[in-house]
Amino acid sequence: MKSMADMTLALKRISSGLVKPGFVKPGFVKAGFVKAASFLIAACVLGSAQSSPPIHLPQVHLDAGELSPRPIEELTGTTIARHYALAWHDLAEALESGRAEGLEEFVGFAKDRLMRRISEQKPAGVHVQIVDHGHHLKAVFYSTDGTAMQLLDQAQLEIQTFDGNKLLDTQNALHEYIVLMTTGTDRWYIRDLEEVSAKPF
Amino acid sequence: MKCPARSNFAFRKGLAGLALLCVLPWCALPWAKAAELHVPAIVEAGQAFSILVEGSGQATFYLLGPDHVVKRSVSLGRDLQIQSSDVRTAGRYQLILCDLASSCTSATSEVRAAQPAHLSFFLHPSRVPVSTRDSIDATAFVFDQYFNLVLTPSAVDFRITPASGAGFSRRVSTQKGVAWMRMDSTAHEGRVQVTVVSGNVEEARVIQQIAAEACGLRMKAVANGNMVALETDPVRDCSGNALPDGTVVSFTKIDKAGKSTVDTPIKKGIARVQFSVHGRAQISVACGVVLGNEVTLNGKL
Repeated sequence: MKSMADMTLALKRISSGLVKPGFVKPGFVKAGFVKAASFLIAACVLGSAQSSPPIHLPQVHLDAGELSPRPIEELTGTTIARHYALAWHDLAEALESGRAEGLEEFVGFAKDRLMRRISEQKPAGVHVQIVDHGHHLKAVFYSTDGTAMQLLDQAQLEIQTFDGNKLLDTQNALHEYIVLMTTGTDRWYIRDLEEVSAKPF
Repeated sequence: MKCPARSNFAFRKGLAGLALLCVLPWCALPWAKAAELHVPAIVEAGQAFSILVEGSGQATFYLLGPDHVVKRSVSLGRDLQIQSSDVRTAGRYQLILCDLASSCTSATSEVRAAQPAHLSFFLHPSRVPVSTRDSIDATAFVFDQYFNLVLTPSAVDFRITPASGAGFSRRVSTQKGVAWMRMDSTAHEGRVQVTVVSGNVEEARVIQQIAAEACGLRMKAVANGNMVALETDPVRDCSGNALPDGTVVSFTKIDKAGKSTVDTPIKKGIARVQFSVHGRAQISVACGVVLGNEVTLNGKL
């Protein structure tokens, strides 16, 4: 099991230059396959230096220890954790603002469904605020051709539902999701995101 | 001194007021109490259902699903109908009911995928050498008619039909909607069809098995003056499959003039080349990682 520090360093290699200076130290990550791997994207602050404000990503911890039939490469693990964190950041922002333009980490059914949900929120006057307390991702299937990965996510989320300014409901609970991620041109995309009854891993 | 009649009146008035204070909350209860929602914990995707909503009067009902939002006014004390089109996507649905006093109550339902209706099937790779261990991977994702991943374990059959020889089948149970298997390629070149079957749904893919590496590569040389013509025997793999035309065969000659290599494609199963030779020459042949025989020329073969 890799330490939190080691994995955070792996992140730096991927996001080279995007990570806020001083957040991580220079990396020493070895390339190659990792059979029992654990990856952590801490509550990072990402931002493209001058152009846009920094992005606060939720904490994502990826456990790939029981992955089959193919082991995960270290770089893939950190990339997946990073894009998953970005996806949740985008999702929370879209559900709150009612704007679906930022859902760049989603494709296929996952994107279509989210866009429909957001477009239907507007006329109903509904919006949702998510306070994301972090995700524990467990990779369970990685196709041998390296193009698809299935993961289970246990997320501690505080969800507030509003109609206009009126608070309708607040829930602070553990949520479990089945996630299907596939490779794209330059990243791992969320192709399917389905919430199921939360059970301990 | 107080008039007894007035005092009695005041007492009665006080009692009435007290009684009213006690009774009022009970009268107001149906309005002040948040209406209760009794929802099913689990619902199959695309199945309409109804919810009993207690209380009386009007309320606003919200249904928030993964891809759908409903907001409508409802009458309390009646069944609230949820249409099949409202719950087609699997996932968690939040149901909220707010009465006119702005008191809200909420509940959640989980919508689960219906029966398998679609298969998403990946067969990898598209071309594979014959008789290679664990070289073919098949992965199937099982979806219902609304393209929800069917998480309930179900049996999936992978039926393999080679171009020649008997077909065979493998049964795998899905885990969280995914079934996969790995197998060896068969001994003969040609197309292999793999069909994945779940219930009455099936999906087929084809891969091409090609000859493996060359086996027993041999060439013969025919000298003519200072020229030599080299020609391989028909190039085949160890299972007797002919290597496809276009496969490159390399001939390397070392003589007084130095070392020279000619790469030539197989045409009609045979690779041919012609060299000029200066003095004693050693010529070798190779195809991929396989080395063939060597010939030595010294004025004579």
